[in-house]
Amino acid sequence: MRGERLLLLPGALFLLLFFAYPLWAILERSLSSPEGLTLARYLKALTAPAYLEAWRNSLLFATASTLLAAIGGVFVAYWTSGLPLRLKRFLLSLYAIPASLSGLVVAFGFIVLLGRNGVVNQLLGALGLPRFDLYSWTGLLLVFPFYNVPLFALALMPLLESLGKELMEAARASGATPFQAWVRVLLPNLMPGILAGSAIVFAGMMGAFGTALALTGFAKNLLSLQIYSLVAESAFDLPQAAALAVVLMATTGLGLYLLALGERRWRR
Amino acid sequence: MRALGWLLFGLFLLYLLLPMLAPVVYSFSQMWLGLLPEGFTLAWYRRVLQDPRYLEAALLSLRVALLAVLLNVAVGVPTAYVAYTWTGRVGEGLRRLLQVLPLLVPPLVVGLGFLLAFNRPPLALSGTFWIVVFGHAALGFPFFFRTVYAGLAGIEVRLLMEAAQASGAGLLARMRYVLLPNLLPAVLSGSLVAFAISMGEFEVTSMVAGFGTVTLPLLLFQSLREDFRAASAVASVLLYTTLLALAGLTLLKRR
Repeated sequence: MRGERLLLLPGALFLLLFFAYPLWAILERSLSSPEGLTLARYLKALTAPAYLEAWRNSLLFATASTLLAAIGGVFVAYWTSGLPLRLKRFLLSLYAIPASLSGLVVAFGFIVLLGRNGVVNQLLGALGLPRFDLYSWTGLLLVFPFYNVPLFALALMPLLESLGKELMEAARASGATPFQAWVRVLLPNLMPGILAGSAIVFAGMMGAFGTALALTGFAKNLLSLQIYSLVAESAFDLPQAAALAVVLMATTGLGLYLLALGERRWRR
Repeated sequence: MRALGWLLFGLFLLYLLLPMLAPVVYSFSQMWLGLLPEGFTLAWYRRVLQDPRYLEAALLSLRVALLAVLLNVAVGVPTAYVAYTWTGRVGEGLRRLLQVLPLLVPPLVVGLGFLLAFNRPPLALSGTFWIVVFGHAALGFPFFFRTVYAGLAGIEVRLLMEAAQASGAGLLARMRYVLLPNLLPAVLSGSLVAFAISMGEFEVTSMVAGFGTVTLPLLLFQSLREDFRAASAVASVLLYTTLLALAGLTLLKRR
Protein backbone atom coordinates (compact mmCIF):
# COMPACT_ATOMS: atom_id res chain seq x y z
CA MET A 1 0.00 0.00 0.00
CA ARG A 2 2.12 2.82 -1.32
CA GLY A 3 -0.15 5.61 -0.11
CA GLU A 4 0.50 4.59 3.44
CA ARG A 5 4.09 5.65 3.14
CA LEU A 6 2.78 9.20 3.32
CA LEU A 7 2.15 8.41 6.97
CA LEU A 8 5.89 8.74 7.53
CA LEU A 9 5.65 12.48 6.83
CA PRO A 10 4.68 13.64 10.34
CA GLY A 11 7.38 11.49 11.92
CA ALA A 12 10.01 12.68 9.47
CA LEU A 13 9.04 16.30 10.08
CA PHE A 14 9.09 15.74 13.85
CA LEU A 15 12.56 14.17 13.79
CA LEU A 16 13.94 16.83 11.48
CA LEU A 17 12.53 19.73 13.47
CA PHE A 18 13.16 18.47 17.01
CA PHE A 19 16.34 16.43 16.61
CA ALA A 20 18.21 17.12 13.37
CA TYR A 21 17.74 20.89 13.35
CA PRO A 22 18.72 21.43 17.04
CA LEU A 23 21.78 19.20 16.57
CA TRP A 24 22.72 21.22 13.50
CA ALA A 25 22.23 24.42 15.50
CA ILE A 26 24.61 23.10 18.19
CA LEU A 27 27.27 22.23 15.62
CA GLU A 28 26.88 25.53 13.80
CA ARG A 29 27.04 27.70 16.92
CA SER A 30 30.07 25.82 18.25
CA LEU A 31 32.00 26.60 15.05
CA SER A 32 30.82 30.03 13.99
CA SER A 33 32.37 33.38 14.82
CA PRO A 34 32.00 36.88 13.37
CA GLU A 35 35.09 36.21 11.23
CA GLY A 36 33.90 32.86 9.87
CA LEU A 37 34.63 29.39 11.14
CA THR A 38 36.65 28.87 14.30
CA LEU A 39 37.92 25.93 16.27
CA ALA A 40 38.79 28.07 19.28
CA ARG A 41 36.02 26.65 21.46
CA TYR A 42 37.03 23.08 20.72
CA LEU A 43 40.63 23.99 21.47
CA LYS A 44 39.45 25.40 24.79
CA ALA A 45 37.26 22.35 25.45
CA LEU A 46 40.24 20.05 24.91
CA THR A 47 42.92 22.10 26.70
CA ALA A 48 41.39 24.15 29.54
CA PRO A 49 42.23 22.29 32.78
CA ALA A 50 38.71 22.68 34.23
CA TYR A 51 37.10 21.14 31.12
CA LEU A 52 39.68 18.37 30.88
CA GLU A 53 39.05 17.51 34.51
CA ALA A 54 35.30 17.57 33.92
CA TRP A 55 35.71 15.25 30.93
CA ARG A 56 37.87 12.84 32.91
CA ASN A 57 35.49 12.93 35.90
CA SER A 58 32.48 12.25 33.68
CA LEU A 59 34.20 9.35 31.99
CA LEU A 60 35.29 7.84 35.32
CA PHE A 61 31.90 8.47 36.92
CA ALA A 62 29.96 6.96 34.01
CA THR A 63 32.28 3.93 33.89
CA ALA A 64 32.10 3.32 37.64
CA SER A 65 28.31 3.74 37.60
CA THR A 66 28.05 1.29 34.71
CA LEU A 67 30.12 -1.31 36.55
CA LEU A 68 27.98 -0.91 39.68
CA ALA A 69 24.81 -1.17 37.60
CA ALA A 70 26.09 -4.28 35.83
CA ILE A 71 26.95 -6.07 39.08
CA GLY A 72 23.69 -5.08 40.75
CA GLY A 73 21.62 -5.55 37.61
CA VAL A 74 22.83 -9.08 36.86
CA PHE A 75 22.11 -10.11 40.44
CA VAL A 76 18.68 -8.47 40.58
CA ALA A 77 17.63 -9.83 37.17
CA TYR A 78 18.81 -13.34 38.11
CA TRP A 79 17.06 -13.29 41.46
CA THR A 80 13.87 -11.80 40.06
CA SER A 81 13.65 -14.33 37.21
CA GLY A 82 13.57 -17.18 39.72
CA LEU A 83 10.55 -15.82 41.63
CA PRO A 84 6.89 -16.88 41.25
CA LEU A 85 5.09 -15.25 38.34
CA ARG A 86 2.81 -12.89 40.29
CA LEU A 87 5.62 -11.56 42.44
CA LYS A 88 7.82 -11.23 39.39
CA ARG A 89 5.16 -9.18 37.56
CA PHE A 90 4.83 -6.87 40.53
CA LEU A 91 8.58 -6.41 40.78
CA LEU A 92 8.90 -5.64 37.07
CA SER A 93 6.37 -2.83 37.50
CA LEU A 94 8.35 -1.62 40.50
CA TYR A 95 11.60 -1.56 38.50
CA ALA A 96 9.93 0.65 35.89
CA ILE A 97 9.28 3.46 38.39
CA PRO A 98 12.73 5.11 38.73
CA ALA A 99 13.07 5.75 34.98
CA SER A 100 9.94 7.90 34.87
CA LEU A 101 10.30 9.44 38.33
CA SER A 102 11.42 13.05 38.59
CA GLY A 103 15.10 13.30 39.49
CA LEU A 104 14.15 15.91 42.09
CA VAL A 105 11.89 13.47 43.95
CA VAL A 106 14.78 11.00 44.12
CA ALA A 107 17.15 13.70 45.34
CA PHE A 108 14.63 14.67 48.02
CA GLY A 109 14.28 11.09 49.20
CA PHE A 110 18.00 10.60 49.52
CA ILE A 111 18.47 13.93 51.32
CA VAL A 112 15.90 12.87 53.94
CA LEU A 113 17.53 9.46 54.37
CA LEU A 114 21.22 10.19 53.94
CA GLY A 115 21.63 13.98 54.17
CA ARG A 116 23.61 15.76 56.89
CA ASN A 117 20.79 15.38 59.43
CA GLY A 118 19.22 12.40 57.70
CA VAL A 119 18.00 9.25 59.35
CA VAL A 120 21.11 7.22 58.61
CA ASN A 121 23.51 9.87 59.90
CA GLN A 122 21.49 10.24 63.11
CA LEU A 123 21.83 6.52 63.59
CA LEU A 124 25.55 6.55 62.80
CA GLY A 125 26.06 9.53 65.12
CA ALA A 126 24.23 7.83 67.97
CA LEU A 127 26.45 4.79 67.53
CA GLY A 128 29.57 6.94 67.50
CA LEU A 129 30.38 6.01 63.91
CA PRO A 130 31.72 8.42 61.28
CA ARG A 131 28.98 10.16 59.28
CA PHE A 132 28.18 9.47 55.65
CA ASP A 133 28.63 12.36 53.25
CA LEU A 134 25.87 12.24 50.63
CA TYR A 135 27.36 15.26 48.85
CA SER A 136 30.57 13.47 47.89
CA TRP A 137 31.53 11.29 44.90
CA THR A 138 30.75 8.25 47.04
CA GLY A 139 27.34 9.78 47.73
CA LEU A 140 26.65 10.25 44.01
CA LEU A 141 27.82 6.71 43.29
CA LEU A 142 25.36 5.50 45.91
CA VAL A 143 22.41 7.50 44.54
CA PHE A 144 22.60 6.76 40.81
CA PRO A 145 22.26 2.95 41.07
CA PHE A 146 18.71 3.77 42.17
CA TYR A 147 18.04 4.45 38.48
CA ASN A 148 20.62 2.21 36.91
CA VAL A 149 20.22 -1.14 38.65
CA PRO A 150 16.48 -1.49 37.83
CA LEU A 151 17.12 -0.19 34.31
CA PHE A 152 19.90 -2.72 33.79
CA ALA A 153 17.82 -5.54 35.26
CA LEU A 154 14.88 -4.71 32.98
CA ALA A 155 17.17 -4.67 29.94
CA LEU A 156 18.62 -8.05 30.88
CA MET A 157 15.44 -9.90 31.91
CA PRO A 158 14.18 -10.94 28.44
CA LEU A 159 17.49 -12.62 27.56
CA LEU A 160 17.76 -14.23 30.97
CA GLU A 161 14.22 -15.60 30.73
CA SER A 162 14.82 -16.97 27.24
CA LEU A 163 17.94 -18.80 28.39
CA GLY A 164 15.85 -20.39 31.06
CA LYS A 165 16.65 -22.42 34.11
CA GLU A 166 17.63 -25.43 32.01
CA LEU A 167 21.00 -23.92 31.17
CA MET A 168 22.10 -23.63 34.78
CA GLU A 169 20.58 -26.98 35.69
CA ALA A 170 22.42 -28.69 32.84
CA ALA A 171 25.67 -27.10 33.95
CA ARG A 172 25.13 -28.24 37.51
CA ALA A 173 24.11 -31.72 36.38
CA SER A 174 27.34 -32.11 34.43
CA GLY A 175 29.31 -31.53 37.60
CA ALA A 176 29.99 -27.78 37.61
CA THR A 177 30.08 -26.00 40.96
CA PRO A 178 27.65 -23.06 41.30
CA PHE A 179 30.58 -20.71 40.76
CA GLN A 180 31.72 -22.52 37.63
CA ALA A 181 28.18 -22.63 36.30
CA TRP A 182 27.92 -18.85 36.73
CA VAL A 183 31.27 -17.90 35.27
CA ARG A 184 31.62 -20.49 32.51
CA VAL A 185 27.99 -20.92 31.44
CA LEU A 186 25.61 -18.19 32.51
CA LEU A 187 27.74 -15.04 32.21
CA PRO A 188 29.08 -15.81 28.70
CA ASN A 189 25.54 -16.46 27.51
CA LEU A 190 24.34 -13.25 29.13
CA MET A 191 27.19 -11.17 27.72
CA PRO A 192 25.27 -9.59 24.79
CA GLY A 193 22.59 -8.43 27.21
CA ILE A 194 25.16 -7.19 29.71
CA LEU A 195 26.88 -5.14 27.01
CA ALA A 196 23.55 -3.76 25.77
CA GLY A 197 22.52 -2.80 29.31
CA SER A 198 25.92 -1.21 29.89
CA ALA A 199 25.44 0.92 26.78
CA ILE A 200 22.13 2.28 28.10
CA VAL A 201 23.55 3.06 31.55
CA PHE A 202 26.84 4.51 30.29
CA ALA A 203 25.10 6.87 27.85
CA GLY A 204 22.60 7.94 30.48
CA MET A 205 25.31 8.65 33.04
CA MET A 206 27.41 10.73 30.63
CA GLY A 207 24.52 13.14 30.21
CA ALA A 208 23.00 12.93 33.69
CA PHE A 209 22.90 16.09 35.78
CA GLY A 210 19.46 16.75 37.28
CA THR A 211 19.81 14.68 40.45
CA ALA A 212 23.48 15.64 40.82
CA LEU A 213 22.56 19.32 40.52
CA ALA A 214 19.85 18.99 43.16
CA LEU A 215 22.28 17.22 45.51
CA THR A 216 25.64 18.90 45.06
CA GLY A 217 24.91 21.98 42.95
CA PHE A 218 27.96 22.78 40.83
CA ALA A 219 30.41 21.49 43.46
CA LYS A 220 31.29 18.39 41.43
CA ASN A 221 33.07 18.98 38.15
CA LEU A 222 31.19 16.92 35.58
CA LEU A 223 31.03 17.67 31.85
CA SER A 224 27.22 17.69 31.93
CA LEU A 225 27.21 20.19 34.81
CA GLN A 226 29.78 22.37 33.01
CA ILE A 227 27.48 22.53 29.99
CA TYR A 228 24.47 23.27 32.16
CA SER A 229 26.27 26.03 34.05
CA LEU A 230 27.23 27.67 30.74
CA VAL A 231 23.55 27.67 29.79
CA ALA A 232 21.80 28.49 33.05
CA GLU A 233 24.25 30.37 35.27
CA SER A 234 26.01 33.70 35.13
CA ALA A 235 28.87 32.14 33.14
CA PHE A 236 26.44 32.23 30.17
CA ASP A 237 28.32 31.16 27.03
CA LEU A 238 26.17 29.18 24.61
CA PRO A 239 28.81 28.64 21.88
CA GLN A 240 31.21 27.13 24.43
CA ALA A 241 28.38 25.00 25.81
CA ALA A 242 27.70 23.82 22.25
CA ALA A 243 31.33 22.77 21.74
CA LEU A 244 31.32 20.89 25.05
CA ALA A 245 28.05 19.19 24.05
CA VAL A 246 29.68 17.96 20.83
CA VAL A 247 32.61 16.61 22.88
CA LEU A 248 30.13 14.92 25.21
CA MET A 249 28.21 13.29 22.34
CA ALA A 250 31.44 12.19 20.66
CA THR A 251 32.62 10.56 23.90
CA THR A 252 29.27 8.84 24.45
CA GLY A 253 29.20 7.77 20.81
CA LEU A 254 32.68 6.26 21.06
CA GLY A 255 31.70 4.37 24.22
CA LEU A 256 28.51 3.06 22.56
CA TYR A 257 30.47 2.08 19.46
CA LEU A 258 33.01 0.10 21.50
CA LEU A 259 30.24 -1.66 23.43
CA ALA A 260 28.38 -2.48 20.19
CA LEU A 261 31.63 -3.82 18.73
CA GLY A 262 32.09 -6.03 21.78
CA GLU A 263 28.52 -7.23 21.51
CA ARG A 264 28.93 -8.17 17.85
CA ARG A 265 32.17 -10.01 18.50
CA TRP A 266 30.56 -11.91 21.36
CA ARG A 267 27.59 -13.04 19.29
CA ARG A 268 29.84 -14.67 16.69
CA MET B 1 23.94 -19.25 49.73
CA ARG B 2 20.19 -18.93 49.21
CA ALA B 3 19.85 -16.99 52.49
CA LEU B 4 22.61 -14.61 51.47
CA GLY B 5 20.86 -14.06 48.16
CA TRP B 6 17.59 -13.21 49.87
CA LEU B 7 19.39 -10.88 52.26
CA LEU B 8 21.03 -9.00 49.38
CA PHE B 9 17.76 -8.88 47.45
CA GLY B 10 15.95 -7.60 50.53
CA LEU B 11 18.55 -4.86 50.92
CA PHE B 12 18.09 -3.94 47.28
CA LEU B 13 14.32 -3.66 47.72
CA LEU B 14 14.84 -1.42 50.75
CA TYR B 15 17.27 0.69 48.73
CA LEU B 16 14.63 1.03 46.01
CA LEU B 17 11.62 1.65 48.25
CA LEU B 18 12.96 3.84 51.05
CA PRO B 19 13.94 6.84 48.88
CA MET B 20 10.42 6.77 47.42
CA LEU B 21 8.80 6.41 50.81
CA ALA B 22 10.88 9.11 52.52
CA PRO B 23 9.27 12.18 50.84
CA VAL B 24 5.80 10.77 51.54
CA VAL B 25 6.47 10.13 55.24
CA TYR B 26 8.14 13.53 55.50
CA SER B 27 5.18 15.26 53.88
CA PHE B 28 2.73 13.83 56.44
CA SER B 29 4.81 14.43 59.57
CA GLN B 30 4.93 17.48 61.83
CA MET B 31 8.57 17.07 62.69
CA TRP B 32 11.38 14.79 61.68
CA LEU B 33 14.36 15.75 63.77
CA GLY B 34 15.32 12.47 65.36
CA LEU B 35 15.39 8.97 63.98
CA LEU B 36 11.67 8.73 63.43
CA PRO B 37 9.13 11.32 62.28
CA GLU B 38 6.68 12.73 64.83
CA GLY B 39 3.03 13.68 64.57
CA PHE B 40 0.66 13.38 61.62
CA THR B 41 -0.28 16.54 59.75
CA LEU B 42 -1.74 17.72 56.48
CA ALA B 43 -0.36 21.21 57.01
CA TRP B 44 2.26 21.01 54.26
CA TYR B 45 -0.28 19.92 51.67
CA ARG B 46 -2.56 22.71 52.87
CA ARG B 47 0.27 25.21 52.53
CA VAL B 48 0.93 24.07 48.98
CA LEU B 49 -2.75 24.13 48.06
CA GLN B 50 -3.21 27.62 49.46
CA ASP B 51 -0.25 29.03 47.59
CA PRO B 52 -1.53 29.97 44.12
CA ARG B 53 1.96 29.53 42.64
CA TYR B 54 1.83 25.78 43.17
CA LEU B 55 -1.65 25.40 41.75
CA GLU B 56 -0.69 27.43 38.70
CA ALA B 57 2.47 25.39 38.21
CA ALA B 58 0.55 22.13 38.57
CA LEU B 59 -2.02 23.20 35.99
CA LEU B 60 0.74 24.32 33.64
CA SER B 61 2.50 20.96 34.04
CA LEU B 62 -0.75 19.16 33.27
CA ARG B 63 -1.37 21.22 30.16
CA VAL B 64 2.19 20.70 28.94
CA ALA B 65 2.04 16.95 29.59
CA LEU B 66 -1.31 16.49 27.87
CA LEU B 67 -0.25 18.44 24.78
CA ALA B 68 3.09 16.61 24.63
CA VAL B 69 1.21 13.30 24.80
CA LEU B 70 -1.26 14.39 22.09
CA LEU B 71 1.61 15.36 19.82
CA ASN B 72 3.23 12.00 20.45
CA VAL B 73 0.01 10.17 19.57
CA ALA B 74 -0.51 12.21 16.40
CA VAL B 75 3.05 11.65 15.21
CA GLY B 76 4.06 8.42 16.91
CA VAL B 77 1.18 6.16 15.83
CA PRO B 78 1.59 6.69 12.06
CA THR B 79 5.38 6.52 12.39
CA ALA B 80 5.29 3.25 14.32
CA TYR B 81 2.78 1.85 11.82
CA VAL B 82 4.97 2.65 8.82
CA ALA B 83 8.09 1.40 10.61
CA TYR B 84 6.28 -1.87 11.32
CA THR B 85 4.72 -2.46 7.91
CA TRP B 86 7.51 -1.10 5.72
CA THR B 87 9.72 -4.10 6.03
CA GLY B 88 13.33 -3.84 5.06
CA ARG B 89 15.59 -0.88 5.32
CA VAL B 90 13.20 1.91 6.30
CA GLY B 91 11.60 0.05 9.21
CA GLU B 92 14.92 -1.28 10.43
CA GLY B 93 16.52 2.16 10.13
CA LEU B 94 13.73 3.90 12.03
CA ARG B 95 13.88 1.34 14.83
CA ARG B 96 17.66 1.66 15.08
CA LEU B 97 17.50 5.45 14.99
CA LEU B 98 14.90 5.71 17.71
CA GLN B 99 16.78 3.22 19.84
CA VAL B 100 20.06 5.13 19.65
CA LEU B 101 18.63 8.65 19.64
CA PRO B 102 17.79 8.95 23.37
CA LEU B 103 21.20 7.45 24.21
CA LEU B 104 23.23 9.70 21.97
CA VAL B 105 21.13 12.81 22.53
CA PRO B 106 20.55 13.12 26.29
CA PRO B 107 18.02 15.63 27.71
CA LEU B 108 20.91 18.03 28.30
CA VAL B 109 21.67 18.16 24.56
CA VAL B 110 17.98 18.37 23.62
CA GLY B 111 17.66 21.39 25.91
CA LEU B 112 20.75 23.12 24.54
CA GLY B 113 19.77 22.32 20.95
CA PHE B 114 16.27 23.75 21.44
CA LEU B 115 17.72 26.86 23.02
CA LEU B 116 20.02 27.43 20.06
CA ALA B 117 17.63 26.36 17.28
CA PHE B 118 14.47 28.13 18.34
CA ASN B 119 15.79 31.53 19.36
CA ARG B 120 15.35 33.31 16.04
CA PRO B 121 12.59 33.79 13.49
CA PRO B 122 10.79 31.99 11.95
CA LEU B 123 10.85 29.74 15.00
CA ALA B 124 11.47 32.14 17.87
CA LEU B 125 10.04 30.01 20.65
CA SER B 126 12.57 30.60 23.43
CA GLY B 127 10.94 30.99 26.81
CA THR B 128 7.43 30.29 25.49
CA PHE B 129 4.90 27.68 26.51
CA TRP B 130 5.30 25.82 23.23
CA ILE B 131 9.03 25.24 23.47
CA VAL B 132 8.37 23.36 26.73
CA VAL B 133 5.64 21.27 25.07
CA PHE B 134 7.85 20.46 22.08
CA GLY B 135 10.81 19.64 24.32
CA HIS B 136 8.76 17.22 26.39
CA ALA B 137 7.29 15.68 23.24
CA ALA B 138 10.79 15.13 21.85
CA LEU B 139 11.96 13.49 25.10
CA GLY B 140 8.94 11.19 25.27
CA PHE B 141 8.89 10.24 21.60
CA PRO B 142 11.37 7.33 21.66
CA PHE B 143 9.54 5.78 24.63
CA PHE B 144 6.13 6.28 23.04
CA PHE B 145 7.31 4.86 19.72
CA ARG B 146 8.81 1.78 21.38
CA THR B 147 5.60 0.98 23.25
CA VAL B 148 3.32 1.41 20.23
CA TYR B 149 5.70 -0.54 18.02
CA ALA B 150 5.60 -3.45 20.46
CA GLY B 151 1.80 -3.20 20.47
CA LEU B 152 1.65 -3.50 16.68
CA ALA B 153 3.37 -6.87 16.89
CA GLY B 154 0.42 -8.14 18.93
CA ILE B 155 -2.35 -7.49 16.37
CA GLU B 156 -2.85 -8.66 12.78
CA VAL B 157 -2.36 -5.12 11.62
CA ARG B 158 -1.59 -5.75 7.96
CA LEU B 159 -4.61 -8.01 7.52
CA LEU B 160 -6.91 -5.53 9.25
CA MET B 161 -5.76 -2.57 7.20
CA GLU B 162 -5.97 -4.46 3.90
CA ALA B 163 -9.48 -5.63 4.70
CA ALA B 164 -10.49 -2.06 5.52
CA GLN B 165 -8.97 -0.80 2.30
CA ALA B 166 -10.74 -3.49 0.28
CA SER B 167 -14.03 -2.31 1.71
CA GLY B 168 -13.27 1.20 0.51
CA ALA B 169 -11.96 3.01 3.58
CA GLY B 170 -9.56 5.85 2.79
CA LEU B 171 -6.22 6.33 4.50
CA LEU B 172 -7.44 8.65 7.24
CA ALA B 173 -10.55 6.57 7.88
CA ARG B 174 -8.40 3.46 8.19
CA MET B 175 -6.14 5.17 10.69
CA ARG B 176 -9.02 6.58 12.67
CA TYR B 177 -11.46 3.65 12.67
CA VAL B 178 -9.26 0.58 12.27
CA LEU B 179 -5.72 1.17 13.46
CA LEU B 180 -6.33 3.43 16.44
CA PRO B 181 -9.09 1.37 18.14
CA ASN B 182 -7.14 -1.86 17.74
CA LEU B 183 -3.98 -0.26 19.02
CA LEU B 184 -5.70 1.52 21.89
CA PRO B 185 -4.06 -0.38 24.79
CA ALA B 186 -0.58 0.21 23.37
CA VAL B 187 -1.33 3.87 22.60
CA LEU B 188 -2.64 4.37 26.14
CA SER B 189 0.43 2.64 27.60
CA GLY B 190 2.79 4.80 25.57
CA SER B 191 0.79 7.90 26.51
CA LEU B 192 1.06 7.09 30.22
CA VAL B 193 4.83 6.71 29.97
CA ALA B 194 5.18 9.97 28.04
CA PHE B 195 2.83 11.66 30.51
CA ALA B 196 4.82 10.51 33.54
CA ILE B 197 8.10 11.62 31.97
CA SER B 198 6.68 15.04 31.13
CA MET B 199 5.14 15.62 34.58
CA GLY B 200 8.48 15.02 36.33
CA GLU B 201 10.77 16.57 33.72
CA PHE B 202 13.19 19.09 35.15
CA GLU B 203 16.35 19.09 33.05
CA VAL B 204 15.17 20.32 29.65
CA THR B 205 12.45 22.49 31.15
CA SER B 206 14.90 24.43 33.30
CA MET B 207 16.98 25.17 30.20
CA VAL B 208 14.29 26.31 27.78
CA ALA B 209 11.52 27.67 30.02
CA GLY B 210 11.06 31.37 30.68
CA PHE B 211 9.71 33.16 33.71
CA GLY B 212 6.18 32.59 32.46
CA THR B 213 6.49 28.82 32.24
CA VAL B 214 7.35 27.59 35.72
CA THR B 215 6.28 23.94 35.80
CA LEU B 216 5.77 21.99 39.01
CA PRO B 217 9.26 20.40 38.99
CA LEU B 218 10.84 23.83 38.42
CA LEU B 219 8.97 25.18 41.42
CA LEU B 220 10.01 22.12 43.42
CA PHE B 221 13.65 22.89 42.63
CA GLN B 222 13.18 26.36 44.13
CA SER B 223 11.35 25.00 47.18
CA LEU B 224 14.16 22.52 47.86
CA ARG B 225 16.21 25.54 48.95
CA GLU B 226 13.51 27.81 50.34
CA ASP B 227 10.83 25.69 51.94
CA PHE B 228 11.71 22.05 52.55
CA ARG B 229 8.27 21.34 54.06
CA ALA B 230 6.35 22.50 51.03
CA ALA B 231 8.92 20.71 48.89
CA SER B 232 8.10 17.40 50.58
CA ALA B 233 4.43 17.79 49.67
CA VAL B 234 5.21 18.72 46.05
CA ALA B 235 7.72 15.89 45.69
CA SER B 236 5.09 13.49 47.04
CA VAL B 237 2.48 14.76 44.59
CA LEU B 238 4.91 14.17 41.71
CA LEU B 239 5.55 10.69 43.07
CA TYR B 240 1.80 9.94 43.27
CA THR B 241 1.41 11.09 39.67
CA THR B 242 4.12 8.72 38.46
CA LEU B 243 2.74 5.86 40.53
CA LEU B 244 -0.80 6.42 39.19
CA ALA B 245 0.43 6.51 35.60
CA LEU B 246 2.44 3.32 36.06
CA ALA B 247 -0.41 1.59 37.90
CA GLY B 248 -2.59 2.32 34.87
CA LEU B 249 0.13 0.86 32.70
CA THR B 250 0.23 -2.33 34.77
CA LEU B 251 -3.55 -2.69 34.55
CA LEU B 252 -3.40 -2.28 30.77
CA LYS B 253 -0.78 -5.02 30.52
CA ARG B 254 -2.91 -7.43 32.54
CA ARG B 255 -5.84 -7.23 30.13
